[in-house]
Amino acid sequence: MALTGRAGLLAALGALLVLAAPDPPMAVLGVALLLAALVVIDLLFAGGVRGLRFHRDGERLVRLGESVTVGLVVENPGRRRVRGVVRDAWPPSAGSAPRHLRVDVPSGQRRRLVTTLTPTRRGDREAVTVTVRSLGPLGLAARQGSHVVPWSVRVLPPFLSRKHLPGKLARLRELDGRHPALVRGQGTEFDSLREYVVGDDVRSIDWRASARRSDVVVRTWRPERDRRVLIVLDTGRTSAGRVGVAPGVAPRVAPLPGQASGWPRLDWSMDAALLLAALASRAGDRVDFLAYDRTVRAWLSGASRTDLLSSLVNAMAPIEAELVEADSPGMVAAVLARAKRRCLVVLLTDVNAAAMEEGLLPVLPRLSSRHTVLVAAVADPRVAAMASGRGTAEQVYDAAAAERLRGERRRITARLRGQGVEVVDALPEDIAPALADAYLALKAAGRL
Amino acid sequence: MSTVTAPSSASTSPTTRSMWRGGRGILLVGLLVLVTALVPVLLSSPGTEGRPLDPGDSSDVGAKALAQLLGGRGVSVERVDSVSALISAAGPDSQLLIGDTDFLSEADARRIAGSGQDRLIVGAVPHLDVLAGGLLVKEHVRTRSREPRCDLRAATGAGSAHLGGVSFTAPAGGAGCYPAAGHPTLVRYTTGGRTVTVVGDGAFMTNLRLAEDGNAALAMNLAGARPRLIWLVAPEQWDPTLAGPEGRSLGDLIPSGVSWAVVQLAVAVGVVALWRGRRLGPVVAERLPVVVRAAETVEGRGRLYRARRARDRAAPALRAAAIDRLAPRLGLPPTAAPDEVVAATAARTGLDAREVRATLYGAVPADDGGLVALAGYLDTLERQVRDS
Repeated sequence: MALTGRAGLLAALGALLVLAAPDPPMAVLGVALLLAALVVIDLLFAGGVRGLRFHRDGERLVRLGESVTVGLVVENPGRRRVRGVVRDAWPPSAGSAPRHLRVDVPSGQRRRLVTTLTPTRRGDREAVTVTVRSLGPLGLAARQGSHVVPWSVRVLPPFLSRKHLPGKLARLRELDGRHPALVRGQGTEFDSLREYVVGDDVRSIDWRASARRSDVVVRTWRPERDRRVLIVLDTGRTSAGRVGVAPGVAPRVAPLPGQASGWPRLDWSMDAALLLAALASRAGDRVDFLAYDRTVRAWLSGASRTDLLSSLVNAMAPIEAELVEADSPGMVAAVLARAKRRCLVVLLTDVNAAAMEEGLLPVLPRLSSRHTVLVAAVADPRVAAMASGRGTAEQVYDAAAAERLRGERRRITARLRGQGVEVVDALPEDIAPALADAYLALKAAGRL
Repeated sequence: MSTVTAPSSASTSPTTRSMWRGGRGILLVGLLVLVTALVPVLLSSPGTEGRPLDPGDSSDVGAKALAQLLGGRGVSVERVDSVSALISAAGPDSQLLIGDTDFLSEADARRIAGSGQDRLIVGAVPHLDVLAGGLLVKEHVRTRSREPRCDLRAATGAGSAHLGGVSFTAPAGGAGCYPAAGHPTLVRYTTGGRTVTVVGDGAFMTNLRLAEDGNAALAMNLAGARPRLIWLVAPEQWDPTLAGPEGRSLGDLIPSGVSWAVVQLAVAVGVVALWRGRRLGPVVAERLPVVVRAAETVEGRGRLYRARRARDRAAPALRAAAIDRLAPRLGLPPTAAPDEVVAATAARTGLDAREVRATLYGAVPADDGGLVALAGYLDTLERQVRDS
């Protein structure tokens, strides 16, 4: 049960009655009894809460930064009307609104209530409880009860870098030779012969074929196709660090001073991985996905080109960075076990000197001897800002610390390149296009 | 996307039965605690609390032993608990004992002082200036066994006794005994034809201390000076209401309805508290991912450099970064020797080679100002190489 403000008001007004009454002690008793009687009557005549039935409908998936509506159907099989408020409780980061819903369901009828969710972070959000407070006819007291009405909404990565996709696809078409500008395809695989049209590069004329026919024929080239790209996401501790500014999603609560409002490296890496996957699938390559820290967190293989992206965001959505050191030998073993044929292994991790030297560097040759390896790391803009600090001694000391870190990154990068590994080290906003460019460059060079 | 009807709901509110099942253990334990707390209280005799210096009290702080001793010596002890009873009981052959009497008002003190009886005042009672005019309280002293050091018969006959509490400055002509730091804790003097005896503390008269030292003798000598001893104690139920001239206190003047209305308002506050205190459903907890900035380690290292003034670490880091950026611009490999870098930089910028060497490979700056200047030089050098 629950009381309402009216009951409090009534009790306060009772004080006036007591003041005026000839026998105050009896008046206090009388007011208390009257109030109790009214509350009991109200509770007796309030609609039953326990018997209510609920159903949900609505969306199951939402991109981070967007809103969805989830419907809640309240069915009242009881004899009395249920009038009051309903709270459809969701975890705070589901961003549910409004907090309370007014409800008025006559006996035997049903009503649909709508809750809007605007999630503030990625992952699965489960509905918690539905609590109903059913007021009595006098509005003095209410019956209250909770129900569990299961529903979950999966919050997908926002794929912000899809704005870069048209530009990268245009470059891919350029490689392909299918560009409207009729540029000679830069691919390395012979595609077909076709008739010469004005504007074609004369160097691509196939004289032998032209001699056989009465027309001038050019060769067209296309980039290699049906290669394999394996995207490996490191979900260890280095991926938990927050960098940059969380894009799009405005924080509902202002972050505390000195507290991060940024996005974990993991999310930036996912964004880059999505752009790469979209690009590679359009380019005709097969994309597999592995998330690994000490065990396999997610494994996606053999998705068809049409539903690759949706499978990928679904696989990525529940992944969070684990606060453990990533097991690099295990990761390499997992990759080797899964990639039988030669493929491009894109490793999304952090170029962290301590973690790299002890973890990945010793075992990387096993991987790079069989596959083309591309390491992509998200750099921290805060470090760049610190490195340019000048003026006071404090800023210069910070700058020295930042330069030391950047020096270590450069050293690791140089060692990786020395092992024949491609490295992309870019700021959060640039990592996705930079990774796509690196992929296109590899493709153009025929190194896949 | 998908529109699916979810499985039906289930109520999670506790039923009466589940509440009884879940709560009966707690209820049982609560009842047990209550019973074990109540039984000793109910079994023990009431009124065990001591009443200090009460001739009818047999606890440690009471003075029943002294009263009985006095009775045995033929001194009649009359216990009174109000000033009016004290005045009416007082006769020419009586002595008044005023002990634990915090309730005395100034008017009461004047009535006692004007009654014209010998007085024995125990402890620093209120209105001492009225009850024992001319006496000055000096300071608080510890209660312990003290020697009389005076020629008062009552004291010298008893010998050492537990005294202390407060020390006094005796008025002219008074006798002071049991001194603490030179000031007596027992003073006897005569004012208005009446003997007034003041002791700083009543511990020597209590049941606990009476048998020690010369306490009993001193107490007998002081309290048994007259055949009748009128002993004033605090009343059992002391009514602190300050009655007005017509005997009506402030409380009497307020209509009874007001206090009951306040009771009713308290009830209303309780109802409002119940209203506001009932939450609509449980608090929702959520496991959130850890929030840690990636730059935290770098910032920590910067603070460490700052705290230790680690110029010998900071300067090489800044120089190495500058050289790493300069070398590609100068067309040198990253592994170029210092001499090559200095020569190439000097050639590119036209600066003096020694100056360039001092900037890129010089000594560690001697102070923070030097470090800041070095950072500036490196920036300038890089800019010159870039712009040339």
